[in-house]
Amino acid sequence: MNIEITELEHVYPTGERALSGIGVTMAGTEPVAIIGQNGAGKTTLAKHLNGILKPSGGRITIDGVDIGDRATCEWAKKIGYAFQNPADQLFLDSVRKEFEFGPRQIGMPKEQIEERVVRVAELVGLQHKLDVHPFDLTPVEKRFCTIGAVVMMDPEAIVFDEPTCGQDLDGNRRLERIISELRDSGKLCITISHDMKFVTANFSRVILMCRGQVLLDGPARSVFAQTDILKQSFVAPPPITRVAQKAGLPDTVFGVDALITALKQERDRRG
Amino acid sequence: MASAIEVNDFSFRYQGDKRYALKHLDFAIRQGEFFCVVGANGSGKSTLCNALVGLVPHYFTGKTRGEIVVDGTKVSESTVADLSSTIGLVFQNPFNQLSYTAGSVAEELAYGLGNHGVERSEMLERVDTVARLMRIEHILHRNPLELSGGQVQRVALGSVFILEPRILVLDECTTQLDPLGGEEIFDVVQRLNKDGVTIVMVDHDMERVARCADTVMVLDQGEIVALGTPREVFTSPTLGEHGVSAPDYVSISRALVEDGWDIPNIEITEEPTVAMVRGLLR
Repeated sequence: MNIEITELEHVYPTGERALSGIGVTMAGTEPVAIIGQNGAGKTTLAKHLNGILKPSGGRITIDGVDIGDRATCEWAKKIGYAFQNPADQLFLDSVRKEFEFGPRQIGMPKEQIEERVVRVAELVGLQHKLDVHPFDLTPVEKRFCTIGAVVMMDPEAIVFDEPTCGQDLDGNRRLERIISELRDSGKLCITISHDMKFVTANFSRVILMCRGQVLLDGPARSVFAQTDILKQSFVAPPPITRVAQKAGLPDTVFGVDALITALKQERDRRG
Repeated sequence: MASAIEVNDFSFRYQGDKRYALKHLDFAIRQGEFFCVVGANGSGKSTLCNALVGLVPHYFTGKTRGEIVVDGTKVSESTVADLSSTIGLVFQNPFNQLSYTAGSVAEELAYGLGNHGVERSEMLERVDTVARLMRIEHILHRNPLELSGGQVQRVALGSVFILEPRILVLDECTTQLDPLGGEEIFDVVQRLNKDGVTIVMVDHDMERVARCADTVMVLDQGEIVALGTPREVFTSPTLGEHGVSAPDYVSISRALVEDGWDIPNIEITEEPTVAMVRGLLR
């Protein structure tokens, strides 16, 4: 999977300019996180990746094919998008039907659908809720239902839009498993999140957006080292990183072990 | 100081459920206290919020045992409407807060005031004040159903704040907002608390809870498994067994102790942790 975005512009019918000249390439299977405050354009960008939104200007190609050359339903086989608000996505009367719907639309064989339902339900933790009405799920289960329904389609890339919203410890651990399993099975996972602890623990590449533009794009360590640009974008590094920065440690650290190593190095350096 | 809320051996089971959602809860919240409730999803936090404002058992019916007393009034013997002048609940899903009858954000904010018979001139004044507080002055004319999640969350909070309840119950009320938006709302909540409003807050952000709470209560499968100051609760070695993580600052202190550094305290908030790490460099 190779997604190339060049000079992408998007202006909503209301006249609101949501994206201004985005240039990003996403390829391979290394998970990518997109961060930035509300209104930065993260969701608008994500919705262009499988044709839900059409560019007002610029170009997106997927494996060399211009996104405008094929219909959204064609791209859905290649790139899945799990909505931020589960209510925007779920519409059937059981989790099982939600899981079966997409694969059926793209002509996946019945046996394969059945086999995938078992595997995906286990992955997202809904194996005992397959016959439950999505309305009767808890908010977090609804979110996992939207994720499961997209994973069911077996796309080559998946976009998760704020999956960490409202998650507890167990929920975040499950998301981590989902993301690493998708990477191990050769999928490209693009995740929008406000949870910087989650981002630094799971993503080596981070894209920072602000006011419709990409301000930073690179390894998490170098993105979170740019404290001034982060501040301008109203994004704060996660707690451990902040402690190290405020205490005057030169390295950008994400875990406690890295913090202690940096502390020792700095102490030795200062003698 | 007098109790704002007393929960006396309270248990609740939803109609049709075999399992009790809340089991033998027994605690009190002082007037003016900042009281935080944490726990894994499904631990009973939202059910407790509903019980404090009377939605349990008056709207969500089921089997109740024990009693909740809010500002001297027994919840079971009152009504949701009567309780709403004392205690306000901001829902986890802000779309559940909307009246679905208001054509504009201004009408939405004024909705509760209308029900409480507030004069029009005062109504306009309070809408204006709350709109500024919640930073939604620019969307007062908009249809509440056409707003973004973050904007609806601000409107939902505003529609409760405007009634000026003496007790505010906030059920994960910043999930739709980015961290900065969440902090803005939080500043408002802290200001209200300084002015004497009792706050009961459910939150998954443990760093924030450690910073703001006077008291933290941990729920696990409907039971109280820890209750105390943030320091007592977050330094407890058994916290992780209940699906709750301590703030990252606690992990820093613990890792330093394990690594043999001599530190005076396990720190639970940012500034003291930064000061401690700086001190270790000297």
